Amino acid sequence: MKNFLLDYNLKVRLPVLIFVVLAVFTITYYVSYAERNGIGNMPAQPIAYSHKLHAGDLKIDCRYCHSDVDKSRHANVPSAKVCMNCHSIARKDKPEIIKLTDYYTRGVPIEWKRVHRVPDFAYFNHSVHVNKGIDCSNCHGNVAAMEVVEQVKDFTMRACLDCHRNPEAGIKNIIPGKENLQINNGPQNCSACHR
Amino acid sequence: MPLRENQDKLIMDKKVVDISSKILNVTPEDPKVIPETEEKDPNYWRSFRELYNDPDFLKEKKNEFQPGSLDRPDENSFSKFSRRKFLALLSASAAVAATGCSNFRDKGEIVPYNKKPESVTIGLPTYYASTCTGCSYACGILIKTIEGRPIKVDGNPDHPVSKGKICAIAQASVMNLYDPERLKNPLERADRNNSKETAWADADEKIINQLKSISSSGKEIAIVTHTVNSPSLKKLLTEDFRTAYPGSKVYSYELYSESARNSAFEKCYGAKLFPVVQLDKANVILALESDFLGTEGNKVENSRMYSERRDIYNGSEFNRLYAVEGNASVTGMNADYRIILRTDAIEEFVLCLLNEFILKEKLSGFTADAAVSAKLQSYDLKGFISKNNLNEEAIKHLVSDLRKNTGSSFVSAGSMLPESTHIAVNLLNEVLGNTNLYVKDVQNIEQIPLSTKAELENLISGLKSGKTGAVIHLDSNPVYHFPSEYGYADALKNAGLVISLTESVNETSEAGNFILPVNSMFESWGDFQTRSNFASLQQPVIAPLYNTRQKEDILLTWIKGSKDSYNPDLYHQYISGNWKNTFLPGAASDMQFGKEWNAALNDGAVKVRQNTAAGITETTAFKQETFANTNFRLKAGSEYVLLLTRSFTLGDGRFANNGWLQELPKPLSRIVWDNYAAVSVQTAKALGLKSNDKISVTTPAGKTELPVFIQPGTAEGVIAAELGYGRSVCGTVGKDVGVNTNKLISGNPQVSMFMYNDVKIEKVPGFYELISTQEHYAFDEPLLKDIQFRREIIQEGTYLEFKETPDFLHHRHTKYSEEETEKLKVGSINEQYDHTGTKWGMAIDLNKCTGCNECAAACNVENNIPIVGKDQVKANREMQWIRIDRYYSGTPEVPKTSFQPMLCQHCDFAPCENVCPVAATTHSADGLNAMAYNRCVGTRYCSNNCPYKVRRFNYFNFRDRFRDSVQLEESFSLMANPEVTVRSRGVMEKCTFCIQRIMEERQNAIQENRYIIGSNVKTACQEACNTNAITFGDKNDKESELYKLVNSSIAYSVLEEIKVKPNISYLAKLRNVYETDKTSQEH
Repeated sequence: MKNFLLDYNLKVRLPVLIFVVLAVFTITYYVSYAERNGIGNMPAQPIAYSHKLHAGDLKIDCRYCHSDVDKSRHANVPSAKVCMNCHSIARKDKPEIIKLTDYYTRGVPIEWKRVHRVPDFAYFNHSVHVNKGIDCSNCHGNVAAMEVVEQVKDFTMRACLDCHRNPEAGIKNIIPGKENLQINNGPQNCSACHR
Repeated sequence: MPLRENQDKLIMDKKVVDISSKILNVTPEDPKVIPETEEKDPNYWRSFRELYNDPDFLKEKKNEFQPGSLDRPDENSFSKFSRRKFLALLSASAAVAATGCSNFRDKGEIVPYNKKPESVTIGLPTYYASTCTGCSYACGILIKTIEGRPIKVDGNPDHPVSKGKICAIAQASVMNLYDPERLKNPLERADRNNSKETAWADADEKIINQLKSISSSGKEIAIVTHTVNSPSLKKLLTEDFRTAYPGSKVYSYELYSESARNSAFEKCYGAKLFPVVQLDKANVILALESDFLGTEGNKVENSRMYSERRDIYNGSEFNRLYAVEGNASVTGMNADYRIILRTDAIEEFVLCLLNEFILKEKLSGFTADAAVSAKLQSYDLKGFISKNNLNEEAIKHLVSDLRKNTGSSFVSAGSMLPESTHIAVNLLNEVLGNTNLYVKDVQNIEQIPLSTKAELENLISGLKSGKTGAVIHLDSNPVYHFPSEYGYADALKNAGLVISLTESVNETSEAGNFILPVNSMFESWGDFQTRSNFASLQQPVIAPLYNTRQKEDILLTWIKGSKDSYNPDLYHQYISGNWKNTFLPGAASDMQFGKEWNAALNDGAVKVRQNTAAGITETTAFKQETFANTNFRLKAGSEYVLLLTRSFTLGDGRFANNGWLQELPKPLSRIVWDNYAAVSVQTAKALGLKSNDKISVTTPAGKTELPVFIQPGTAEGVIAAELGYGRSVCGTVGKDVGVNTNKLISGNPQVSMFMYNDVKIEKVPGFYELISTQEHYAFDEPLLKDIQFRREIIQEGTYLEFKETPDFLHHRHTKYSEEETEKLKVGSINEQYDHTGTKWGMAIDLNKCTGCNECAAACNVENNIPIVGKDQVKANREMQWIRIDRYYSGTPEVPKTSFQPMLCQHCDFAPCENVCPVAATTHSADGLNAMAYNRCVGTRYCSNNCPYKVRRFNYFNFRDRFRDSVQLEESFSLMANPEVTVRSRGVMEKCTFCIQRIMEERQNAIQENRYIIGSNVKTACQEACNTNAITFGDKNDKESELYKLVNSSIAYSVLEEIKVKPNISYLAKLRNVYETDKTSQEH
């Protein structure tokens, strides 16, 4: 009787318990991976702006709006004024444009929800990447096909370092016209990003 | 000689002395040893405790962390939250978060401009040229703003006087802008204890009505201000305000003024103001109690001109600086020959020199009147030397140098010396032909002359008699600054209307009916002219943070006579209207003027085409009768001499609430957060004083108690104390810091405002702890012990030696055999780079470093360094990344001083990297030793293993801990440099070589598709250094300035022998003395 119980506990209960714990852990880890790293993050924006329409169908260059991306560390989100360059005439009667015009005339900034974010202690620099010919899509995915922008790539330090160590594998798209720039391994020292 | 034996010999040579028990706080039974002070070993010492081998200090040296740093904090000062409660709350909040959360963590918002200004690029700084209003010299500044926030101030390279450099006060001035204790709204005070916020319109209306009635009743309206150096403000005050309110009168004063120098010059030459001197053309400079490199005159300009002649590469010979002084000043400590003389004997010394040159040597080019000769008859240099026991050799050199360099030397008399001394010095410069160096075509300019003593007395008697009906304090604080004998605070009570226009409350605003907050210098318009050849502009770089107004706008509103006439553009229009007629005349159209105006704003300064100022010319003659009629009555007394000196960091006290400045160590004593009475070793002995004892000082004006600091190199009988401390009405940072020594200033001084030769000194019971940073980070590693006396942290030589054998230093210092070197080598466990690309490095020229601390002030601002407070500095926890080590050699009575900026050396084989358990500090291929704050777990092993002791640990979140978390106020968060992490508790930090600026250059290089150019990167300390002592760049760039310096024959690195290969090279100090310094040769 005693032997049987011991056997049962050792041979059945314990492995099952360990299996269940491990399985729960593993499943949780993998299921929540994307969410933890923000992959798939697709917050609703105050104005339903479509990148697919503007960047995809109308083929407006990313830098028309994100004009500082090759000048500074930040790829700026355009001010309402930039939208109004066209929309003071174009599609004035559409509800989203009426919303936009309202923001603009009231002088209130539009609070766009952030989709991608690197932590404050990492000083990512857009311009050094873009000026080397690394296309936006390498990190941001094919935004030109997105109705609502979502995060498709990992924005962890591992993702950064993978590409810095092996740029050939990481960089799929080069900005047209910048193909002949040599892309070396990125810096891997701490002070490249942390200061 | 084997190392061990050598050290034993040195230890055995020490002998017992008893003076130490007088100076140190130790019992006489303790065996005291003093290292031999004979000349063969300069044996650098930093404090008396080190010099006399105080056993406590020796014990402390053995420990990495000195007493106090590891003390448990007072638990009562912590939050009352228990750990259990905290955990409970933590889990509760986690549970709430878990149930309430959406799929993704919210990442916040991006809030772009609605209409982005054209000039702004997010993430890139914008620079604006402006003018500093911290003192009356009006230096040109360049304000760096990021997204509209001013975050850093540097010198404007296009400014003809400051030429890209500014002082520590201007460096730290951004903190004044963001000071959360600035006044935010106008206040009206019914009586002393009852003030309430009011609206601008109400205040304006009430004030205008009162001013009108006071003016029409024929009473005076006094406007009390500091130096007016703005032509537009001058016009506003003396023309427009006077037209609107006929009874108004302007009184301007300055706590430190050059009035003795100027009035003496006027008497001698007829020109009102002392001319500009070409110090860079002077081969020999004699400073008589004159701290022109520290606190006197335009320090920025003086330092630049002085150091241009201290450069081994610029082709000209070194200048030779003699200092004759009683107080230990920065200038004196940089002098090649420093002759210690009581300040009250200096006048006699000058007269003896005159006697020597005029009567004995009969220098040609100057014929003395009989009256002058008669006056000098009774003086004799030889007798003076023996009477005062001076260094005869040094004075012989001085006399012969002055004679040999007639026409290219300069004698500078200190501002604290009386007019008579200045007259004698003017004659000395005339005799020596040094008037050559006075600039003839450019004059100093005074817009409104400072009020004379009689005028100020008039003001006070007017107040007392009721003749003066209203007082307007224009950003001034006379209650604090005026001699207490004036009784200004009491006199103010008689005035019907007292208005203070001020940035924050002060002693004077307390006595007012209205306190009107004004814009800071970053929010204001202004124009300035201090020299006849140019004028400069000040422009606002940020909209007013609070409900404040520009002070000139307030006055203009009152001039217009209606509260509705205010608009924030009034003074801007007023200035540009003036400039149309004065500095930018003849524009054909408004558009043309607009272009010129914008160009002037862009440059910050414009040339003045019309030079109308009257100054000296080539033919201006010295009025010998002035000298003959002067009564030279200053004689060295037997009593004590008190010198009241300009505060090195706080100006006249108006920067007291700036913690960065309070915590900036004074150059010599390295004391922070206090002023003190500096006394000599001899005086201390005579009075039985130790450092930190208290004395009472009595002048004819009053009596004050001061803590004592024994300052090596002070003359016997001289006591020096800084002004500008002890503010009683101030923000939380500056309130009651130090002692108010203004109380000692007499309204009718016998000698001068800042010098009293009849003071009484008494030891009073009590103890006040002064905190100096100099003993910090002394260490005594067992590994290094054997070579401690041969460490050669400071290496020096003489200029003559260098001229003979440029590489004398390397002859002198090769002493390690291969075997020894191998034994001492410190390897690295980290991956080692070959450093073939860019390799960052720095060279610091100790010939140029004056020890002034500007670099530290700039570093604080650039790198978001917190204020820690006096108690934490005491526990060795100051956070400044760069410090200037000050070493004395020689005896305490006659020390030689060496300064050495010390910061992270970015060693190729950095010992700190080897011991970090979490690889938080690592190396990069371009030679940087980096800190990743997020990895740091705070073991402090790195600091322990650092041979240079340059790492700083955040024992607390200092921003939270200091003075009720004043640094966490919202306004201060705007001040932080966004390119640098704001560190929190528990992480190690240190100099990064301004990695953010390196990254900016990398960004530009990639943008322009070129290689990184090392010399494009300027570190904050380098930009700030007044004397260009610091050079940064790429060590592998053979074309660069840095390459030349690093490979200079006098370059060395500190602790070379431990083979950590530091990337900072020091250029050995060459003293320009005649004697070859045998001491340092015989190592």
